[in-house]
Amino acid sequence: MNNNIKPFFLWRHLNKLRWVVLSIVFLMLVLLPFIHVYQTFVASFSYDLLDESEKFLFDIMEAITSPFVDDPAQELDAIKGTTWSGNFFGYQISDPLAVIGQLAASMSIYWPFVLTALVPVIFTVVFGRFFCGWICPANFLYELNTIVSLWLQDLGIRAGHRKLDRRMKYLVLAIGLGLCVISGSVLISIIYPPAIIGRELYFAIALGGFGSGLVFFILTLLFDLFVSRRGFCRYICPGGALYSLLGRFRMFRIKRIVDNCNDCAKCNAVCEFGLDPLHDDFGQECNNCTACIAVCPTDAMTFVVKIKDEGNQGPGHLGKQYIRLNQVQGKQDAAT
Amino acid sequence: MRRRDLLKKMIVAASTFGLASVPYAIGRLMVPLTTFDFSNHLRPPGALVNEDDFIRACIGCGLCGEVCPPRCILFEKREGGNGVNTPYIDPELKACILCQKCMDVCPTDAITKIDIHEVNMGLAQIDRTACYPWVDRGICGACVNICPLGEKAIAFEFANMYRPYIKEDGCVGCGICVEVCPHPSLPIRIVESVQGTVTRHNA
Ligand code: SF4
Ligand code: SF4
Ligand code: SF4
Ligand code: SF4
Repeated sequence: MNNNIKPFFLWRHLNKLRWVVLSIVFLMLVLLPFIHVYQTFVASFSYDLLDESEKFLFDIMEAITSPFVDDPAQELDAIKGTTWSGNFFGYQISDPLAVIGQLAASMSIYWPFVLTALVPVIFTVVFGRFFCGWICPANFLYELNTIVSLWLQDLGIRAGHRKLDRRMKYLVLAIGLGLCVISGSVLISIIYPPAIIGRELYFAIALGGFGSGLVFFILTLLFDLFVSRRGFCRYICPGGALYSLLGRFRMFRIKRIVDNCNDCAKCNAVCEFGLDPLHDDFGQECNNCTACIAVCPTDAMTFVVKIKDEGNQGPGHLGKQYIRLNQVQGKQDAAT
Repeated sequence: MRRRDLLKKMIVAASTFGLASVPYAIGRLMVPLTTFDFSNHLRPPGALVNEDDFIRACIGCGLCGEVCPPRCILFEKREGGNGVNTPYIDPELKACILCQKCMDVCPTDAITKIDIHEVNMGLAQIDRTACYPWVDRGICGACVNICPLGEKAIAFEFANMYRPYIKEDGCVGCGICVEVCPHPSLPIRIVESVQGTVTRHNA
């Protein structure tokens, strides 16, 4: 019995926390444009001139925000932006992909902007591709989309399970950066779902009308449904590729405690990214989402501090018994 | 045999490359490049003046729009080619009030903080064959009264108290004069600085 590592009881609840975080991020992306509309109304001092629906919005936003701020026109600016680039109480935080894309497009370095990606980069080096599982607003919708694909399955419509090459996304990233250089514009953001979600929500709520990004995002949803489950994130997303590379030697990673494992393969079934926790194959693509920890019936998954995955540790205890039985059986067969 | 292997490898490589570019092709196809009229398409104040430089620098985050109090900053949503998602201002709908909030918030060097008098979004131009006071159809002066830079940018002619004229080195092209102009044909509009302040009538 391997007593060195014990599953920590809190880890199995991290998945709930993750859903809370994902929902908060998404709700913020919805709320911020409304806040901006409300700020516009406040700044124009024209409550009486607003029409009924606008007054309604004004009243709601006032009710939501008034406990926190005295001067909505100014103080509500404290949090602005999206996960692509945002302002958080004076800290500017940007997606590393935005920084790399802009470096490629402009072929020059603007340090104040580059530094805004520092915090996400450090977090990624420590926690791996955590952005995908814990923050990405598109991931929130994609995981819900997985549920839709299950419904479709109940209706007899087969969801796609095509397997492509995971390395494809690194090529997509490379081509994207190349295109940024050639076109002289940050083109990579037109296919990057989290950037699309953030700005489309803003366009739709504050500016009235979606942009072309929505169409692209719907295409990715259809791709996930009918071509490959979670295929966009696994095979195409350039941001996912970048995060995978940055998080390759992450310090916190999930590990299977082989003595507790009973080979039920539930972890493989829930892994949104189609990885293979059962055979200790997490790799750089694991986003530490903890879904496998939460689902494991025997607490055989835990976090460890380590920069490399364990190699395949072989089958868990049921599998071992099975092999032993087989061997005994084999000997008996040989004996007779 | 060797040659066939090589050929096979090249075809595989080319097709993966092609496959990996498909998303960009789709994304880009949905944003056709349309030509726009400069006067309806000003970049925010403090923006890099060279259009190519601006598109290179802007990451399309939308932050400048999200802080703009009059919500005058719009975005290229379904067109704009490579400049998709970049911000612009249409002063005929809503003009910039030069509050400088967007300069503070832009994370990149697409918009940087500069002095309000250094802003260069364009230059207002008055068509003297249409503007009410210039054609002696009454008194107006709405543009002069609203200009955030006041006398430095736009003033009345000495001889006729109500005829507005633009001062070339004072006006920064914010366009709020365009927004308020009551004349249906908008005799005042924002043009590129090189075009000067007075409309050439027989050009
Ligand atoms: S792969 Fe891309 S879209 Fe998917 S979760 Fe990660 S960042 Fe979001
Ligand atoms: S200066 Fe103020 S009003 Fe003008 S575009 Fe920027 S944020 Fe909007
Ligand atoms: S804030 Fe700057 S980078 Fe962001 S959209 Fe506006 S100009 Fe572009
Ligand atoms: S003249 Fe018009 S465009 Fe020029 S600064 Fe004044 S209001 Fe702005």
